[in-house]
Amino acid sequence: MKKKSYLSELLKKFCKNFLQKFKAGISLLLIGVITFFSYAYGQDSSHRHINTKFSGDLLSLVTKDARISYHLKYGKQTAEIKNDQQQVITGKVTDSQTGEPMPGVNVVIKGTTVGTTTDVEGNFSISVSDKNATLVFSFIGYTPQEIALAGRTTLNVSLVSETVGLEEIVVVGYGTQQKRTISGAITNITEKNFNVGVNRTAVDMIQGKVAGLVITKSSGDVTAQQSMRLRGTSSLTGSSEPFVVIDGVPGLNLNSVAAQDIESISILKDASAAAIYGSRSASGVILITTKKGKSGQFTTDYNGYIAMDVVSNKPDVLTAEEWRTYCQQNNLSYQTFDKGANTDWFGEIMRTGITQNHDLSFSGGGTNNNYRVSVSYLDQEGVVKDNYQTRLNMRFSVTQKTLKDRLSLTLIGAITQRDYQPSDTRNFVLAYNMVPAYPVKNDDGTWFESTDYDQGNPVHNIELNYDRRKNNISYFNLKSELQIIKNLFLSVNAYFQRQTNDRSRYWNSETERGRNEYGVALRSFNNDNTKLLESTINYTIRTGGHNINLLAGTSFEDNYYQFAQAQNRKFVTNLFGANNLSAGENMQVGDVSSSASMNRLLSYFGRVNYTLNDRYIVSATLRRDGSSKFGENHKWGTFPSISAAWRIGEESFMQGLSNIFDELKLRAGYGLSGNQDGLAPYQSMQLYGASGTYYDNGAWHTAYVVSQNANPNLQWEQTAMANAGIDFSILNARLNGTIEYYNKITSKLLYTYSVPVPPFLYGSMVANVGSMENKGIEFSLTGDIIRSRDIRWTVSLNAAHNKNKITKLSDEEYTTQSIRTGSAWVRGGSANTTHIVEEGKPVGQFFGLECFGLDENGLYKINDMVDGQPGVTVSDYTYIGNAQPKLTYGIDNSFSYKNFELTFFWRGVYGNDVLNFSKMSYATTQWLPGANVLKDALTLGLKQSPFYNSFYIEKGSFLRLENINLAYSFNPRLLGIKSFRVYFTGNNLVLLTKYKGVDPEVPMSGLDPGVEGREYYPKSRTYLFGINVSF
Amino acid sequence: MKKNTLYITVISLLMMLSTSCTDWLDEKVYTQLPVASYGKTEAEVNSLIAPIYTGLRTVNNPITIAVNSSDMAITPTRKGGDWWDGGVFKELRLGTWTPITSHIRSFYNSVMQRISQCNQILYLIENSEGISDKEPYICQVRAARAFWYYILCDYFGNVPIVTDFTDLSKPATKTRAEVFNFVVSELNDIKDKIRSDVGPASYGKFTKGAVYTILAKMYLNALEWNPDGGPKWQECIDACDVVMSLPYKLVSNWYDNFKVFNENCPEHILTAINSPSAGMGVLAYTLHYLDYKALGTTRRGNNGLSAMPDYVRQFDLDDKRRGDDLDHKPGSFLIGPMKDLSTGQIIMTAHGRPLIHTIDITMKYGIDADGWGQVEQEDGARCFKWEIEKGVNYMQNDCAIFRLADVYLMKAECLVRLGQNNEEATRLVNEIRKRAFDDPAKLKTSVTLDDIYLERRLELAWESYCRQDMIRFGKFCDPIPGWRGAIPEYRKLFPIPQTAIDANPLLKQNPGY
Repeated sequence: MKKKSYLSELLKKFCKNFLQKFKAGISLLLIGVITFFSYAYGQDSSHRHINTKFSGDLLSLVTKDARISYHLKYGKQTAEIKNDQQQVITGKVTDSQTGEPMPGVNVVIKGTTVGTTTDVEGNFSISVSDKNATLVFSFIGYTPQEIALAGRTTLNVSLVSETVGLEEIVVVGYGTQQKRTISGAITNITEKNFNVGVNRTAVDMIQGKVAGLVITKSSGDVTAQQSMRLRGTSSLTGSSEPFVVIDGVPGLNLNSVAAQDIESISILKDASAAAIYGSRSASGVILITTKKGKSGQFTTDYNGYIAMDVVSNKPDVLTAEEWRTYCQQNNLSYQTFDKGANTDWFGEIMRTGITQNHDLSFSGGGTNNNYRVSVSYLDQEGVVKDNYQTRLNMRFSVTQKTLKDRLSLTLIGAITQRDYQPSDTRNFVLAYNMVPAYPVKNDDGTWFESTDYDQGNPVHNIELNYDRRKNNISYFNLKSELQIIKNLFLSVNAYFQRQTNDRSRYWNSETERGRNEYGVALRSFNNDNTKLLESTINYTIRTGGHNINLLAGTSFEDNYYQFAQAQNRKFVTNLFGANNLSAGENMQVGDVSSSASMNRLLSYFGRVNYTLNDRYIVSATLRRDGSSKFGENHKWGTFPSISAAWRIGEESFMQGLSNIFDELKLRAGYGLSGNQDGLAPYQSMQLYGASGTYYDNGAWHTAYVVSQNANPNLQWEQTAMANAGIDFSILNARLNGTIEYYNKITSKLLYTYSVPVPPFLYGSMVANVGSMENKGIEFSLTGDIIRSRDIRWTVSLNAAHNKNKITKLSDEEYTTQSIRTGSAWVRGGSANTTHIVEEGKPVGQFFGLECFGLDENGLYKINDMVDGQPGVTVSDYTYIGNAQPKLTYGIDNSFSYKNFELTFFWRGVYGNDVLNFSKMSYATTQWLPGANVLKDALTLGLKQSPFYNSFYIEKGSFLRLENINLAYSFNPRLLGIKSFRVYFTGNNLVLLTKYKGVDPEVPMSGLDPGVEGREYYPKSRTYLFGINVSF
Repeated sequence: MKKNTLYITVISLLMMLSTSCTDWLDEKVYTQLPVASYGKTEAEVNSLIAPIYTGLRTVNNPITIAVNSSDMAITPTRKGGDWWDGGVFKELRLGTWTPITSHIRSFYNSVMQRISQCNQILYLIENSEGISDKEPYICQVRAARAFWYYILCDYFGNVPIVTDFTDLSKPATKTRAEVFNFVVSELNDIKDKIRSDVGPASYGKFTKGAVYTILAKMYLNALEWNPDGGPKWQECIDACDVVMSLPYKLVSNWYDNFKVFNENCPEHILTAINSPSAGMGVLAYTLHYLDYKALGTTRRGNNGLSAMPDYVRQFDLDDKRRGDDLDHKPGSFLIGPMKDLSTGQIIMTAHGRPLIHTIDITMKYGIDADGWGQVEQEDGARCFKWEIEKGVNYMQNDCAIFRLADVYLMKAECLVRLGQNNEEATRLVNEIRKRAFDDPAKLKTSVTLDDIYLERRLELAWESYCRQDMIRFGKFCDPIPGWRGAIPEYRKLFPIPQTAIDANPLLKQNPGY
């Protein structure tokens, strides 16, 4: 009953939104479709008129057999062109492995739209005007082949199925390598394995696909960044995100690359692969490579989609009717609060979000150059009304070869313009607390407001307040590569980036946010510049079975940040918003501020790769990093690594198994890498900073204080990682897999320690003290279950287990027994913490009283015997859960039948605990009648004030249908273009979990992970329709 | 072509090997000041000394542990659990606080930080080349440091004494007597060197008046803090006399001390000067969420701190310092029905009850596991002593740390204790009572120690002296009927926080804890 009304409500909303909001999206989409069809039809001028009756044709195209209706027109068209010297080419296409004929293979004359398909017997016949033309053979799931006719009139072609090819080129640190010669732990994800759906950044595209890389969408906010953890948490400062490198440029913002521009993503998992990035690589490295133009392939690609987001789950609070009934049954005097309304406050602040995305790119190239230019536009609405993001990405990449191909110059430029507004999550708190019998607006049309504790009208907040951000990123990257002599290359990479952020926030004086200060306006601006100059020399020696590759390089990096902010309060009118700060009447000390900071990095690095007989592989790297952020006594860090691999499958004694193994490789590696994320600039220095004002004889002046305890010993955190792995490929590459084991020990952990005051000025000091351990196993397997002519079914599976343990927190100088962290704040619970950081325990250890449930009086049954004594005391606090999962996994299925493709991807987490914080806060009746509570409050029967204990810790295991995608590719040959594909995608359609809160996937970063707070932004379910066209 | 290749190779190798870039890694500071580059002129030094005064605002903090541990105030758990906060306020009320009680820790830490700051500033002045006459600066900073040690002597007793900023070794605990003697000797050393002017230029500064008042406080409590040194009643009188000889004046309207714009109030001897950006927090701590509707103010409260019923009842109903039950006239307490100014109706709390601040505080809903119980949202008289500015969200009232009325009462107390000149003592008490009552019949004809104890409670309500006075008058450990029984003597000192002992094993815990 309820579901139905919700659905109809949804439909209504959708239709409304569709009409209003879709107009732009649909029209753009239609323009795209029309353009391409008119292009297709318009090949022959005599068919131009078809444009006018286009819609009818489109219909017939979709409803009838597309090929037939197309043949009619196309046949005519081809028939009309044959006034040149024509030659008929015939041949047969077969599968390289089975030898079976392949029907339906596209055969196109390169550089034209003229082509045909093979028949049931795999035969084709095509007329060409140039006997030296090149034919392109392509079929889904097979590597395309280009064959120059060179005067031949018959061609027999065998196509190779696209498997995880050993010849695959993988991007590694400062270069590329063939997959088979890689000795470190590297996972490479290419376009065809990317997640489908609304992908904002590279991170969305690989979520769940890489064993050991845990990407957590901790919020439904469309502007929120996901948190990433590779092989566990390895820092106490809360920052252990992998280091992102885009096209060789380190530390870039993920928003600067649109999803469509990404060609492949390499994840450097172990230290032997990552250590070449030195003091920033301890949490792993993610290398993103963007698409480039290809010589001779002039392509125009359009990709567009529209998507609808509906909230998948929201807090279940009392309706007005339930609230009234409860108050009546319990004799609460609720009349003062009953304004006669029936408001679903969460419903009021939410909506169906509409997203549209359009990508357009042109690429191509001649013999000495290539180019690619692309534009992407993403307009995304969150399911909460104040939440949106629009992003425009422009990117170009041009390569020119000169000096007889010895010098190659590449210029890459990119511009990102992003307008966005994160959701003000305060409104969730208000939506929990507002009495459901309060109206959104009074009868006279004015806004209803409540000023009781944690109350206020969230709709009013959303409608009248804003917090708009504008983010611009532009960068230019000039890469030059010079061949000095044969096999010796010098590369210089110069890079400039500017990122600006602009923020305007206004809190209207009538709303909950602004009423205490009579309106608050804020403007802030920052401007960050990065400059990078990197030079490398690369030399390859090949003699006999020996293959040696040497790399040496230097890198200078300079970052400079500027920030300015001003705010003012108390505005007579709300009309100005944030646009006239001087109109405010109450500017306070600290309302105007500005600052600047810098940091620099200087690095030297080198690598040796040695391969003997293509069988024995050794690779060693070394990097020295100097960072301005390091303390005086540790300016330079050295990060070495070594790894080796043995392609045992190539050995003669394995020949007997060669019909089983296509590849069998054993790998092992060890390396040291660093992390300096937790270090802010200037922390090692003794500095004066402005600190408020002081009064002197009638006037206020600025006071200065020494702002921190200086620690000249500050340095990076250091991770030592050993890794062993096996790669295998069996049964004609039908089954490919990798198993990895690693042991990662991070030492010199940065943390803020208590120091005695006096002698120190402040009670805390950042120091490198502790150690932490992460051990784990990763497993990934891809298998072709069905590999036949028409049907293919591929299943990929990845799973990872990681065990995290803090091994040391104290040394002689800095000691701490344990760190209690995380706020368990419920009303009246401000002194409580949720987690403990302690030697022998993992990060994310829940710590508190153990509860066995509620007794007959509705009181918690607390385990008071932990300390062996009856009575609850602080010594009864114990370990009540672990936020870190035992297992993370992903299951990817990909089916294709003829031109249909169906993929679905499940992502899961097993064995973790989640603190259901909103239940702790609001599953209690004691704030009735003047506030609202969860429905759980009525069923739970809790009769005491809630406080943090294991009663609210639940199993967090879940399995989510991350995406399901159905696509149909029209026969491009018939359309006279390269490809045309339509697809439907659903995201987050199924969630299997025992967790009772809104969603078990909650923030996982920091020292207090695994908490679904009361400001949790619910996730959405997405339905998407899109097209890809290429011509 | 060959040549070109050679050049490029050489240049590239040079680029790669150029290690002459060590200064490339120097940190350039833009928004802060490297210590070596600042503090060279007098104006710069003034800005560096300023923290000793901005730090005085910390003095707002003892209100939490001083009034909640004395019989003056309580922060009860409200129905629904507000202000339970892990039982910290229950501990303060029941006298069961421990070395891990959070508010004790934060108070200790902030005072210790002030002392380190004073040492750092002293070091700076002593090493500055830009100041010709260093003594006035040094006196002010030493006075500030003595003030904080006076606070430590009062609250924690046995603490380390550190005077050298450059010595980073961990300091050991000194006895309370040593701390007492350190403060007294420091004050005696500077009392006649420090500036003695009274007026706008010295408002809020450590001056002769402030130094003598601290000294008076030390002598007044000498028997408690340094029993081996014997009583110092006469020394206290002498110090008070010096203060009274300076041009401070009692203001005729008692409330002028607490108004929003109370700058340069002639009664103030040492003042924590607040500003809109750094104001008093007591209002948010005490007022009910909806009281603002009845008071016509902006600032909203969080409904915590209330006065203990028996404390409020000690006030004469005619005493202007009490505050009335209906019209919310200025006074120490906010009592009675709170009516929405726009409707005239009594405001309803979220529990559907009329918002009437009763003097009584009734523990009910004894449902929590610990059994302390909860009280209704509206229970209890609220702190109303400082004027609330309308239309803003902060309290910029300056807060007197020492004021002349206190000095009058200190002298009167010592006169009575010594059995000297009751007439003078009575006159001093009546000077203060004159402001509180319109009826001359309320003046005293003679005063006893009990009279003076009571008068201090009436005059100095919420001003953080209640605990110190109760201890001196031997009442601190007595039972509080209806709330707790007698507590052991060792609780007259707070424990050294466990975190401080963890960070410095040379610290000794106070006896009993």
